[in-house]
Amino acid sequence: MSTQFYLKKFNALYFSVFILSLLILSPFLSIFISLFGEVTEYFFIIKDRLFELYLFNTIILVVSVVFITFILGTFSAFLVSFYEFPGCRFFKWALILSFAVPSYIYGYAFTAFFENYGTAYSIVSFFHNSESVNAYIPKFNGMFGAIISLSFSLYVYVYIFSRSTFTNQSSEIIETSRIFGLSTGSFFLKVLIPLSRPAIITGLSLVAMETLSDFGTVYFFNIPTFTTAIYDSWMGFDDTTTANLLSAFLLIIILIFFTTEKFSRKKSSYYDRKLSNKNLKKNINLHGWASFFAFSFCFLLFFLSFIFPFLQMLYWSFKFPEYFFIYNFFELNLNLLKLIFLSLTLIILVSFFVNYALRILNSNFLNSVSSLSIIGYAVPGLIISIALMSFLSFTSDYFNVNLRNAFIGSITGLVLGYFLRFYSVSFLGIQSNYLKIDKKVDESSYLLGFSKFKTFRLIHLPYFKKPTLLISILLVIEIIKELPITLVMRPFNFETFATKAYSFASQDLLEATAVPSLSIIVWATIFIIFTFKFSDSDK
Amino acid sequence: MNDFLIVKDLSCEINSSVILDKLSFSIRNKGEIISFLGPSGVGKTTLIRCIAGLEKISSGEIVMNGSLYSTKINSIEPEKRNMALSFQENCLFPNKTVLENIDIGFSRKKKPLKLTKNNLINLFNLSEIVSKYPHEISSGEIQRAQILRALISNPDLLLLDEPFSNIDQDQREELQTNLKRVLKDNNIPTIIVTHDINEAFYMSDKCGVLIKNSIVQFDTPYNIHHYPNSKEVMQFISRGSLIKVKVLDKETVFHEKLGKIKGNFITAPKIDSTVKLLIQPEDITHDTRSKLKLKICDRKFRGTNFIYYLKLNANEAIPVSVQSHNCEPCNINDELGIKLPIFINHLVFF
Repeated sequence: MSTQFYLKKFNALYFSVFILSLLILSPFLSIFISLFGEVTEYFFIIKDRLFELYLFNTIILVVSVVFITFILGTFSAFLVSFYEFPGCRFFKWALILSFAVPSYIYGYAFTAFFENYGTAYSIVSFFHNSESVNAYIPKFNGMFGAIISLSFSLYVYVYIFSRSTFTNQSSEIIETSRIFGLSTGSFFLKVLIPLSRPAIITGLSLVAMETLSDFGTVYFFNIPTFTTAIYDSWMGFDDTTTANLLSAFLLIIILIFFTTEKFSRKKSSYYDRKLSNKNLKKNINLHGWASFFAFSFCFLLFFLSFIFPFLQMLYWSFKFPEYFFIYNFFELNLNLLKLIFLSLTLIILVSFFVNYALRILNSNFLNSVSSLSIIGYAVPGLIISIALMSFLSFTSDYFNVNLRNAFIGSITGLVLGYFLRFYSVSFLGIQSNYLKIDKKVDESSYLLGFSKFKTFRLIHLPYFKKPTLLISILLVIEIIKELPITLVMRPFNFETFATKAYSFASQDLLEATAVPSLSIIVWATIFIIFTFKFSDSDK
Repeated sequence: MNDFLIVKDLSCEINSSVILDKLSFSIRNKGEIISFLGPSGVGKTTLIRCIAGLEKISSGEIVMNGSLYSTKINSIEPEKRNMALSFQENCLFPNKTVLENIDIGFSRKKKPLKLTKNNLINLFNLSEIVSKYPHEISSGEIQRAQILRALISNPDLLLLDEPFSNIDQDQREELQTNLKRVLKDNNIPTIIVTHDINEAFYMSDKCGVLIKNSIVQFDTPYNIHHYPNSKEVMQFISRGSLIKVKVLDKETVFHEKLGKIKGNFITAPKIDSTVKLLIQPEDITHDTRSKLKLKICDRKFRGTNFIYYLKLNANEAIPVSVQSHNCEPCNINDELGIKLPIFINHLVFF
């Protein structure tokens, strides 16, 4: 009988995963390496004159958005998790639909509604035909518009995490609070919020990271922040050093939230208790004014976060049909499909390969390296683009091969950018599902004569059908909405709905953004509803 | 003739801590069933994982059917060993029904079993759940299905990790009987690890007691029960108490309260030395007319019998087994007479 050597600790698979993880991490590292390079004059201008402004605007934006999303997210989650009122079941999932509206599109809709002689004026003048009403319609430009747009599109993170932890609260906690005479308000503020703190902090950290990463909204509302500064120094002044330095600074701030989020998520597992059906709380039926208030709050939130931008874009699409013909609608869909197909194939294949290798190699070191390589989800798309381009330039110069032409301004480069940004979604999704399969299942399979590959093909793959579909849908939603990477990395004349909407908005042709914006909302909504169908709505 | 399985000086380290330390034992013939007993954390599961090739061994060797299966540097991969392992936890393939899981084992068999697949499914009481998925059945049913999946592959060596731990008491004995019969009929050599002494004693031809990462005793169930070779084994199987006695001659010891105790020493003690003698519940006979009456300090009801613990002095108490349907139950602090002089067939001392 032939004797085989043990799978050596350092084999080809080990090195493949190590090098792959390192490659994924390298672009991010190249940003930090730039900290030690020479700075340009433009950097000193920013440092002396604009840095404080960027910091101030960023702080105002993050604090305001975090505050508003906290109120909207936790309170709506509280209502649908603890009470029964008309439409409660509908709102449970409908409130997630705002995820289909990127904040920059919300910004276009918001501005379009309140702008001079905009939709608000049309509605009011329909009832009261006088030009003077335009003066009375408030104009929400600048910081306020950005805060509102970001808040209504990002509160969903807080809502999802809060609802998940609220749903798992036991009836005993509610009953004990009642016995101690706590009012509903006191229960919410003194018991529920502290009890759900880790989950809420996780949601708020994601909101903060998304706000810091945002480019489309702040650029549209003309708010100078770090992302706009990075874009300007790179596209406007062709100063990659300054762009890298600003990126490094922003990354450090984001890493603080990233660590907070990681820590809270870990901690939340201690707070989340596995409850039997017996211990699950029973929702309280609301009547009268209380029921009306709960319904109104949820409806208003649903209306403002999803229906309003959707209707605004729909209204414009019909009002200005001529814009429909200025671009090739079919080509935009085809471009999107192309990007989705290539990105999904790459992201999911690599995620499966790395996760499966980590599972069989069982190396703590490799686990740590691959955990670092998923940092992409915390890094703004704009920084990813810059990181990727810096890395490609550095590699091209160092190895004397022209990687720039192959990747920069090409579909390959764009797909690589998406890969760096969204790899973590797929990696973590597959990893969490792998954790659900006991390693002893693999061992049983080996002992039943299955090779490692056969185990993967016959045992793992069938199990992963549904999770992979779910992960793919999430990735598709992200790719449909993605703007900064597409804007920077796309080939010449290559457009997606997001870039098309952006380019019209930057030319101040807001009416023309309607069709691409509406397409993004509709596509994303369809996929969100799919996601909801495939996952348990109450979890 | 060579032994079927030889495990020689097997050691295993995981994360630099020694889990198994120089274990040696063998299975002489095909069809032999051996069990390993021991408290939690002594390495019972690691032992069968090493034999299955799932853990790397740090020294020693495993030889089966004359072929070298594992050494420190070489090992046949688990999928090529033709062994089957039934884990304690749920390891049915989650995407397959119970029947499909069993079929994976069935399709692997190289030689036929003496029972058909359907007979075995009925024997393991699985016929009503074969079309269900693992998440739809109870943990006991999962465990039965796992044992059958392993057994039906008719492996060269069957390894069972706590095979009956999740199975209801009412089904356990029936399943043990059926499993033992199938194993014996088909000559399937088997290693069972368990912490259930009765299960190990019933199922096995030989038992090993694992304590502190080593095999302390490897013997027949009868010998382990009656002649534990160390205090640790005695304490693990929870049989009897130790009392301090003086050795008078080759077949007599003396205890200050019980007087002379006669019997046959398993190993020869030193005359005039003081040793600790093992008293097991069945060694002492209850006698209502006896002059020596001792106070009951504890009582255990075991269904067919009571075990009374009789206080000898501040530090010593001896167990006495009394059939429960023959006499009125006694209470704690009552006095119970014991038959004198005491004769114990096998005198075990430490």
